[in-house]
Amino acid sequence: MTSRFHYDLVALVIFTVVIVFGVPALMNYDGFELNTFARYLALAIVSMALALSWGTAGLLNLGQAATFGMGSYAMAMHLKLRASNGLPDFMGWNNVPELPLIWMPFESLAFTLLAGLLIPAFVGGLIAIFMFRARIAGVFVAIITLAFLVAFQLLVIDQQGLTGGQNGLTGLAQLSLPGWTVDPYSMGFYYLVAGCLAVALAVGVYLTHSKFGLVLRAIREDADRTRFFGYNVATYQTAVFCISAALAGWAGMLYTMVLEFASPTYMGVSFSLAIVIWCAVGGRESVIAAAFGAIIVNMLEGRLSDVFVEGWHLMLGVIFVLVVMFMPRGIYGLLSELAAKLRRAGRQGNAASIDPSSKTQLETGQEQ
Amino acid sequence: MDVIANQLFAGLSMASIMLMIALGLAIIYGAMGVINLAHGEFVMLGAYATWALQTYAGLGILPALPLVFVAVGAVGWVIEKVVVQNLYHRPLDTILATWGIGIILQQAVRLGVGAESRFVKGPELLSGNTEIGPLIMSNYRLFVIFFSIAVLWGSWLLMTRTEFGMKLRAIIQNRSISECYGIESKRVYSITFAYGAGLAGIAGALITPLFSTIPTMGTGLVVDAFLVVIVGGLGSLIGAATASVLIGEATALFSMIMNDTLGRIAVLAGIILLIRFRPRGLFPTETRR
Repeated sequence: MTSRFHYDLVALVIFTVVIVFGVPALMNYDGFELNTFARYLALAIVSMALALSWGTAGLLNLGQAATFGMGSYAMAMHLKLRASNGLPDFMGWNNVPELPLIWMPFESLAFTLLAGLLIPAFVGGLIAIFMFRARIAGVFVAIITLAFLVAFQLLVIDQQGLTGGQNGLTGLAQLSLPGWTVDPYSMGFYYLVAGCLAVALAVGVYLTHSKFGLVLRAIREDADRTRFFGYNVATYQTAVFCISAALAGWAGMLYTMVLEFASPTYMGVSFSLAIVIWCAVGGRESVIAAAFGAIIVNMLEGRLSDVFVEGWHLMLGVIFVLVVMFMPRGIYGLLSELAAKLRRAGRQGNAASIDPSSKTQLETGQEQ
Repeated sequence: MDVIANQLFAGLSMASIMLMIALGLAIIYGAMGVINLAHGEFVMLGAYATWALQTYAGLGILPALPLVFVAVGAVGWVIEKVVVQNLYHRPLDTILATWGIGIILQQAVRLGVGAESRFVKGPELLSGNTEIGPLIMSNYRLFVIFFSIAVLWGSWLLMTRTEFGMKLRAIIQNRSISECYGIESKRVYSITFAYGAGLAGIAGALITPLFSTIPTMGTGLVVDAFLVVIVGGLGSLIGAATASVLIGEATALFSMIMNDTLGRIAVLAGIILLIRFRPRGLFPTETRR
């Protein structure tokens, strides 16, 4: 347990150093390239958020895109208000006479940042309480969250006057923090996103290795036995759902800032399943691997779509089916199996070189 | 009153289409616990096969049906052999793998045939409407309703009155004991998957005059069909039929009271509530797993 914690800490440090120092250098500090990479990093946050609920607690949330969308719309509403004098333009087109009540608090930056985290967490928590109190598990969690996602996207598209409907929210201002206007093509913005990802991963690593994470893994393996030990399974499941939703909302806020618009496609079934794909490719058991999976798949998508304009989507499908069939634990599983093999080989090498009397000692040492 | 009657008919028509799609899904899910997210793409393949047969061979929808059934069934059989068969012990992973297969099929059709929407003529024989008082019913939609009932009946006979169906039910009850009695479960699974895929193909063929045929048409359909299967209860054919009628009519009526989108949202909310309180569906089958 502790040795795995050490591995994860080392991986976290390496990962952070690479994205903060390595990647900008590789990209020659080019604003456009860095903006593209910042997009991948924002998506890495939502992928690691899914790894928390799916990989650790075994709850496959197919509605992750809904909470992601809530965060992205919260940020977009704030930036839209900053961009327009008085009423946002699309409301005029939809005959909305005055600023609706729920838009008003988004004038404030502090409220927006809080809302982008807390609204998804609240909604995620409500769905979680609703499901887990009734001990819904397995496939049914996937179905309920999927149905919620479809309903939520329909609602957002339907409420044109409030959300801009199918067009989403476009023509956004740049976020102005005290003393800093955030230009999405600047180094500063890249460091902001990279820093957010590093913090999110640190939180994720801490949670998975804490007692909380241990109980979640116990629930994943056998919910009933965990219940018999006296843990309130529903509470733990609800908590991890809330945290995962808040992280997804955070990723959504960053994503809106990267692309400078918010669209209902962020809440689509395809996008939500794409998150699952990233998480599975990287490895759902580790938050760092899931983040890495999001970056790798999206980079691959970017490269493939440059080279094979027509067929890249097809290749992505093939790669994904192959991953599910032959690498069920993702890149992380591949690496950890390799590490286990190396360790075993190393141990056998040692055992062969030492004399038989100490070999028994070594074996009893392993037992401990 | 006329409006309600016509809306009820529209709901029934929607239900018959959903039933056709959900039936194959229910059989596959019920028999092997595989959540086949590529099912929508089987429907899409059926629609394209019908289009191809009409455009290049001059075949109408009705004579094309058996060919489409065999063709899409064959695709399903190959997919079961190559991919799904390796995943029976990991049911959640089948969601992911079949979604990947769905992407592959969708993109293959997009590259091979093109992304633009295709049109298929409905059969001449069934053009026109039947009017009963104020109620106006399209003959083609009436035909689809009766056809879906026939397919439901046929599937029920297959499951309960044939040797194949008995073997399949035996495997659902207990796979290893069935194998001890000499039932080749792998072969039965392959055929069942192919049959489910073939049904989806027929559904695709029948909806071509009603929907526009595009490569992405399956994605929306599979979510609906899947909800029907879950609401109906694990692998229950009667459950799937009841659920599709319920959901179809509820959608039609809610759409009339509110608007189309809000109606659909209300139905989805209802489905979520139903799954919450009856997670095993309306007609749960008693099996030991």
